[in-house]
Amino acid sequence: MDHDPFRWGRPNDATYGGYNTKIAHANPQAGNAAMPTMNTQQPIVTGTSVIAMKFKDGIVIAADNLGSYGALARFDDVERLFPVGENTVVGISGDISDLQYISRLLEDLEIDNNYDYDGHSLRAPHIHEYLQKVFYARRSKMDPLWNSTIVGGFDDEGKPFLKYVDLLGVKYSAPTLATGFGAYLASPILRKVIFEEKDVEKVDEETARNAIKECMKVLYYRDARSLDKYSMITITKEKGVVFEKNLRSENQSWRFAKDIKGYGTQKV
Amino acid sequence: MAVKFKDGVVLGADSRTTTGSYIANRVTDKLTQVYDKIWCCRSGSAADTQAVADIVKYHLDLYTTQHGKPPTARIAASLFQEITYTNKDALSAGLIVAGYDDKTKGEVYSIPLGGSVHKQPYAIAGSGSAFIYGWTAKNFKEEMSKEEVINFTKTALSQAIKWDGSSGGVIRIVILTAEGIERLVFYPDEHENF
Amino acid sequence: MVRVNKPYHVSLAEFLLQMLQVLGVGVHDDGERGRTSVGTGYDLSNSVFSPDGRNFQVEYAAKAVENGSTSLAIKTPTGVVFAVEKIITSKLLVPNKNNRIQTIGRSIGAVYSGLLPDGRHLVSRARDEFNSYRGQYKEDITVPYLIDRLGNYVQAYTCYNSVRPFGITSIIGGVDGEGSHLYMLEPSGVYWGYKGAAAGKGRQSAKNELEKLKYDELTSKDAIKEAARIIYLAHEDNKDKDFEIEISWVDTVETKGLHQFVPEDLLAEAKAYAQDKLNEDEDEDEEDDEDEDMDN
Repeated sequence: MDHDPFRWGRPNDATYGGYNTKIAHANPQAGNAAMPTMNTQQPIVTGTSVIAMKFKDGIVIAADNLGSYGALARFDDVERLFPVGENTVVGISGDISDLQYISRLLEDLEIDNNYDYDGHSLRAPHIHEYLQKVFYARRSKMDPLWNSTIVGGFDDEGKPFLKYVDLLGVKYSAPTLATGFGAYLASPILRKVIFEEKDVEKVDEETARNAIKECMKVLYYRDARSLDKYSMITITKEKGVVFEKNLRSENQSWRFAKDIKGYGTQKV
Repeated sequence: MAVKFKDGVVLGADSRTTTGSYIANRVTDKLTQVYDKIWCCRSGSAADTQAVADIVKYHLDLYTTQHGKPPTARIAASLFQEITYTNKDALSAGLIVAGYDDKTKGEVYSIPLGGSVHKQPYAIAGSGSAFIYGWTAKNFKEEMSKEEVINFTKTALSQAIKWDGSSGGVIRIVILTAEGIERLVFYPDEHENF
Repeated sequence: MVRVNKPYHVSLAEFLLQMLQVLGVGVHDDGERGRTSVGTGYDLSNSVFSPDGRNFQVEYAAKAVENGSTSLAIKTPTGVVFAVEKIITSKLLVPNKNNRIQTIGRSIGAVYSGLLPDGRHLVSRARDEFNSYRGQYKEDITVPYLIDRLGNYVQAYTCYNSVRPFGITSIIGGVDGEGSHLYMLEPSGVYWGYKGAAAGKGRQSAKNELEKLKYDELTSKDAIKEAARIIYLAHEDNKDKDFEIEISWVDTVETKGLHQFVPEDLLAEAKAYAQDKLNEDEDEDEEDDEDEDMDN
């Protein structure tokens, strides 16, 4: 025991060694010892990329059905596309528990909005703006919702709408969008189809859907947290929301593997 | 783990509780009743999962008095989910909820660490589960008979026990069907060479 | 007549008078009711029973309902149809706006007769109940449980002298996992389940008609027509005033479980059917009159 009058009763450092600050997560920084270390959460079960693009009559968006638990491909039936209102879709990547929370928020939003029979309906810009405010409010509380999302639909003028918002409350818009790995792998491919806003007019539904399908295939080749089973939503004024589930990345190219031998000079 | 089968659901678990590498309890009961025919499998922190199960048990009891009818497994799963989701920073709880009622004929919900819910035909969780993902995926069948589903569960758990140092002891099984609740115990000499 | 504005601050004289009344010595007789009640002071507060065990404030609330415009609902095996007679109180009101039927959640409808702001408040409360239930159990509240919660809420307004009871009888119904449901909730907080329910001024004739319907065979589409017919018929009690009719429905098949206003073509069809039926009845009445004349 320490007999120093100011430290009386405490364990003597000479006997027991100094206090181990790692115990009970005490903050090792001097002068801030009263504060426990704070951890914002981390994602546990996660969903990978969401990719989307505009075309002249609407938008197309896709996300695979995998719920990863670290590297473990734990759930293969997670739906990450959510239709909201008449002609809007929200695609969500990131933490799945937060994704489920957001999907409930959107459902509540839709229910509340239908109470007024005023001829107005929830459209993509409103939903995007709402989500951005939710994300920003949460990150400001140091308790972010760990997701990146893409909202697709039509704007107030009836033109195709596509906008991104993420866990920080950052938002931006582009004629082609992708979250997560998709930003690296899919965006370059999609930008070959639509480079800038004025190109949207030149692209029809068929071309857009094929581009997205091709990207899902590339993502499956190169994203170690992805699946070849995915959902896709196409929204047009004519057909409304068309939801396709359990799609498979088809025509994958693997046969060339047989010609690859060794890693340089080996011929056998 | 919990598995849906022809007549209802079965829940199964090993009986090992560890503090580090010391076995604190070698005959643990990790299959916990939260309502008549709604049970859960607890993995993660024993203290956390016991506390959460107790809270859910209370809410389900309250639900019955307020609604004048028994809760569904889905309701139980939602309650578990809400608690683990809102307290994700404080809890270490990986849960499986399984229940039988005449309407659904049995349901299984997996609630992993972050507090998401996943309805599944069968679910595995806990440290030992990592070793049996392959075997269970290959050998699971929908609508198994009671004998088949017990064999499935027993084999899966015996493999988890064999390869995982944090799993061990006896295999406990609970069967929930229209007939009622049935408990089974398999001792190491019965499952080691199963 | 003794008027006690603040029953808890009564003068000695008033107190004695009240005591006499309590003992049955009172001489105030309410001619209309034929019972000793109005003006005794027992009708001024919620939290006080009259000596014969009545809560007059609740009974007065029921009066407010009796004069309200007629509302009704019909339960079918797959859904519920709501209808209300909207008396046009001013020519300046915008036609076909100012809706009277409201939605709670997605699959539950509500309509009421009496003090409309009270109804708005109750619906607001019902929506809060709906949201809090979803927050807790992650699924939609069932109609029977919602009505039970609302019943308790309305009842609480009959127990405290700082509040007055709800001046509405509300008809609430919808579909859930267990099928279709219909309830009527009164100012006292009492509620019953119905196959057909009516409240407001024309309730008596409406109920007479509702009793004749074959509920097991009724489709929701037919129920719309019948609802329109009964509203038109019940309006006969209030004939001098112009009115609009508002009809909504929720059906597991027809509206995919959503509560919404009926489409314009169905409404028009229902109105035409209602008017035809009404005219038929009138013709029959005239014929009956003629028969009687001949007999004479």
